[in-house]
Amino acid sequence: MPVKFDYLLRETTSNLGRNVTITLASIMTVAVSLALVGASLMLRSGVENATQRWQGGIEFVVFLRIDATQQQIDSLNSDLEQSPEVSKIVFVDQEQAYKEFQTLFADSPELIDSVTAKDLPPSFRVEPVNKEVEAVESLGVTYEGRSGVDQVVFASKTIRLIQQLSSRLTVGIFVIAAFLLGAAGLLILNTIRMAMFARRREIEVMKLVGATNWFIRVPFMLEGLVQGLVGAFLAIAGLAAFKPFFQKWLPSAQDIPLVGGFQVSGGEMTVIFMTLGVVGVAIGAIGAGIAVSRFLDV
Amino acid sequence: MITLENVTKTYKNSTVALRDANVEIAKGEFVFLVGASGSGKSTFIRLLNKEETPEKGHIYVAGKDIGQLSGWKIPYLRRNIGCVFQDFKLLPTKTVFENVAFALEVIGRPRSVIDSQVPAILDLVGLGHKSDGFPTELSGGEQQRVSVARAFVNRPLILLADEPTGNLDPATSVGIMKLLDRINKTGTTVVMATHDRGIVDTMRRRVIEIDRGAIVRDQARGVYE
Repeated sequence: MPVKFDYLLRETTSNLGRNVTITLASIMTVAVSLALVGASLMLRSGVENATQRWQGGIEFVVFLRIDATQQQIDSLNSDLEQSPEVSKIVFVDQEQAYKEFQTLFADSPELIDSVTAKDLPPSFRVEPVNKEVEAVESLGVTYEGRSGVDQVVFASKTIRLIQQLSSRLTVGIFVIAAFLLGAAGLLILNTIRMAMFARRREIEVMKLVGATNWFIRVPFMLEGLVQGLVGAFLAIAGLAAFKPFFQKWLPSAQDIPLVGGFQVSGGEMTVIFMTLGVVGVAIGAIGAGIAVSRFLDV
Repeated sequence: MITLENVTKTYKNSTVALRDANVEIAKGEFVFLVGASGSGKSTFIRLLNKEETPEKGHIYVAGKDIGQLSGWKIPYLRRNIGCVFQDFKLLPTKTVFENVAFALEVIGRPRSVIDSQVPAILDLVGLGHKSDGFPTELSGGEQQRVSVARAFVNRPLILLADEPTGNLDPATSVGIMKLLDRINKTGTTVVMATHDRGIVDTMRRRVIEIDRGAIVRDQARGVYE
């Protein structure tokens, strides 16, 4: 038997309207928990993108002082080239560093405006022959303290730090989000249970006159789905609005040298948003499904 | 139309509500179920509607063994059975028209059918002029008429009535009984549980008396006792 659309629309909206406060509570809980999940997914893909720039075997970077003389640079260059432990070096001058900076912070023009090529240090990116951590470090430190050298930054250390930080943050946020999602599911379950209680006379009459079980169930299930979906939609809207701030809030290239902007591309955002939509609908469906199967005696 | 074969129903607290009942009710019959409170009249009615399942025996309604009926088919059984109760079971938030229309709506009848059937049945029960009123604005007798209209709007084969006059004064009860009689004359089988001696004695229809779960009397054109 086809369940009529106008019937479903009317029943679902009147159910949602009946317990406005509880409905809002469950929608907001879904929204907040999904926003947390989304933010941690954004953080993770930002970190992945940022650390991707350490490709091509570059293990450490020797940053020069901004006021390093050409003589100091040349001397370091020849030392690096002659060292048997170094397999490849790339010199990044101030102009190149600035170009890289521009690409990394493409969506923060005000940041690009405030920085000029003269503010960025030139550097040597070094690929050593032996890539074991101890060997890389002992090689790297020999360049520290040389005239004109500001500092030596090791890829492994920096990346490990960031990745550790991000994975701990992600795990922490996920745990909180999981609890909130559980709470959202229970809230949805309870809202639907209350809707059923409010409509128990109608349900009794429906059963009496021979309405099918699905006819009775579907409006309640839709109610849960709508709550999950609206919650997910709010989370998505919130994250989309929050994204520019998110990008600024994370450490910039200046704070952690050579780990560039934590860019999250449009494609990645779409995947994250779709994930949130699916999770929201799933939470709503699970909450509603449990409520319908446990409390609706049809 | 209705056949009970050796039907026994025991509730969980080991109350025997019906013991080894054998009854045959033909199409178009009007049957009174009488007996003291707790004798098993309501259980009899609830078994026919498959609100309860018998422990032993077979129940045939319209040729089907409803003991074997799977859960999803119960709604389709109930579309052939109208029900009227002592407490009316009307929805207070819906108008008279909407209460009756609801019964058609939830079994998926199209709007056009609802718009033609509902006014017709409200005229039949004499409430055509009150179709926009709410149940609370009606007298008890009028509310029971709405409930009969709802039970009958889908033209069921069987009408089950559990003490339909239990909350009504004698004069109003007569009106309801005339209505049920009219419905019976259209060929609908009516099974009515009642305590109302006056009604049973006046109507002189088949009487089945139940005492502590046992059928102790089955009399054509019978009286209350």
